[in-house]
Amino acid sequence: MPRRSLWVYHVNTGGCNGCDIELLAALSPLYDPERFGVRLVESPRHADAFVLSGPVTLQSLPSVVEAFRVGRPEAVIALGSCACGGGIWHDSAAVLGGIDPLLDLLEEEGIPRPRVIRVPGCPPRPHSILYGVAVLLGYAEPKAAKLLAEARRAARI
Amino acid sequence: MRDPPPGETLAALLRLAGLRDCREEGGGVVYCRAGAGEGIRAAARLHEDSGCRLTTCLAYDYRLVDGSFHVVYVFDCPRLGRYIDIDIAVSDSSIDSLAAVLETMQCKWCEWEIRDLYGIGFRGHPGRGRLVLPDSWPEDYHPLRKDAPSRPPRLERPARRRARGPGLPLGPYHPALHEPEYFELEVEGERVKGVRYRGFFVYRGIEKLAEDRFRAEQVPFLAERICGICGFVHSTTYCMAFERAVGIEVPERAKYLRSMLLEIERIHSHLLCTAVMLHAAGYDTGFMQLMAVREEVMSVAEELTGNRKTYSANTPGGVRIDPDDSLVREAVERVSRAAEKAVKLARSFLEVSEVYTRLEGVGVLGRRDAWRHGALGPVARASGIDVDVRRDHPYAAYGSLEFEVPVRDEGDCLARYLLRLDEVLESASILRQIARSIPRGPVVNRDYDYAELRVGQAASEAPRGECIHYVITGVSGRLWRWKVRAPSYNNIPLLELMLKGYLVADAPVIISSIDPCFSCTDRLIRVKRVG
Repeated sequence: MPRRSLWVYHVNTGGCNGCDIELLAALSPLYDPERFGVRLVESPRHADAFVLSGPVTLQSLPSVVEAFRVGRPEAVIALGSCACGGGIWHDSAAVLGGIDPLLDLLEEEGIPRPRVIRVPGCPPRPHSILYGVAVLLGYAEPKAAKLLAEARRAARI
Repeated sequence: MRDPPPGETLAALLRLAGLRDCREEGGGVVYCRAGAGEGIRAAARLHEDSGCRLTTCLAYDYRLVDGSFHVVYVFDCPRLGRYIDIDIAVSDSSIDSLAAVLETMQCKWCEWEIRDLYGIGFRGHPGRGRLVLPDSWPEDYHPLRKDAPSRPPRLERPARRRARGPGLPLGPYHPALHEPEYFELEVEGERVKGVRYRGFFVYRGIEKLAEDRFRAEQVPFLAERICGICGFVHSTTYCMAFERAVGIEVPERAKYLRSMLLEIERIHSHLLCTAVMLHAAGYDTGFMQLMAVREEVMSVAEELTGNRKTYSANTPGGVRIDPDDSLVREAVERVSRAAEKAVKLARSFLEVSEVYTRLEGVGVLGRRDAWRHGALGPVARASGIDVDVRRDHPYAAYGSLEFEVPVRDEGDCLARYLLRLDEVLESASILRQIARSIPRGPVVNRDYDYAELRVGQAASEAPRGECIHYVITGVSGRLWRWKVRAPSYNNIPLLELMLKGYLVADAPVIISSIDPCFSCTDRLIRVKRVG
């Protein structure tokens, strides 16, 4: 993704609010994401990236798919444990279970797979959210990929 | 505590309602059993003329124990400092609807939810279709029945939602709303004439998960994830209900620590709400400034509990943190100073005439409606109803702390805004008292035996109002039933009354002024349509 201002659209897919208020906190002048050109926009059509929080409940699914169909984002920031992998709801009957099943489903619908940045945590701190943004813009390296690669080397997989 | 008026005692009240089989247990909860007809008559009498009001209803599946479902109507009697539970056994899977008699919103919703989740029919109930579960949910699968499998036999993907009428859709993803919820406004020109609400987008199946997968002492972990804002309220209330059911004595120091974290949570929640109201009113400068001050409160919470959301601090029997005195004093001082600074800022924003006029006289909720339909917390107190669980039904350390309960009469958005600021100052004063008087000693009591099939009910004053947890302990360390009634559950249906007659542009301000928490409200199920 080129280094330019990043307009994001916030989609709560049935999260507990924890990630959402941390996102609001991360937007406050104390953390100042506007120095990276980050702006929360009001329509999915204007967005470069989506910020997705929550485990994707079945009830919210049609609206979420619609937002992706309209917005076709280049990247998705999966915010919090729930969005990253379903969290403690992963085996509840009422949820889809995070970003991965959602992307599979979107692919079936013919919506191209966006780049995914995962910001785990319950909830992630505003600092982590900014780190995720920095990774997306190419200012920082993803942490888990490096750790995973090291672990794989160590285990010789 | 106010004295009950002469002649109005609990015994007289129960006689008036015609309830005979009652027993009072710890925490000021009176459990009454009644037959179906007698129970509904008693409930109607209690709600209409006794100074008590219906706060919620719930159901549990006891077919394996005594062969029937039970429906429980919970009444709050603030003047007597009691809760009265009317427990009705339902043998033939249908019962007369109390909502049809009372015609109040909170009753309509809670009976509707029971119908979705348990398949119990309420004769005469006004609701059509589903409230909580998705439309594609199988007709015969009622998730909270004990014989329901954890996953339904088949689950189709919900279809795309379409507007049902010429209404103006608001949500589920709307710049002024930070959680998914859907309002359809019927408009005439710019005026709102009617509202249809469809919520429960955040139904995650929490109560079912807790009964199926979690041991009772693990449930606080789930309870605090009901809501990311008032998580500590939910874990505290769950712990209190469980402690009452099993009979656990909580150490004094733990009670003070709980009160302290609850007040810190109230401060950051109220600041968030006022900030979001300013954002909805189009004044982002105010939003940014309040959020920046609020960060101080969050970092104190992190220093005390290791987590900005105070997660994992509660456990049945006490708390899992034991900060030393100097940390408590410093934390309280920092939070109180931040709170006072924020209140000063928030009051000064009202000098911006654009902000003031967006709030004043908008979204008025009358006193009578607020009482009858079960408004709670700041929404009720801004409409002249003097209720506060901390004073009326003291829990944690509130019995030994002194505080005022601010009440205003105007009932508009401005009153709700100002009332929250007054409450932030009260919370700061409570915190200072706690720092002065917190006793030393152990913080957790793990010396208890699990007891099976015991009932416990607890209430607490969440930032948004009274939060009720109802627990029935089950076998092998699991819960039989865990019911959560968050305050927004009662306040959200009232939006229908508040939005009517105001401009479409006022809708986001009015919605944010009740500080709705959809994740609390939706907990376990999903909803379809209202109205």
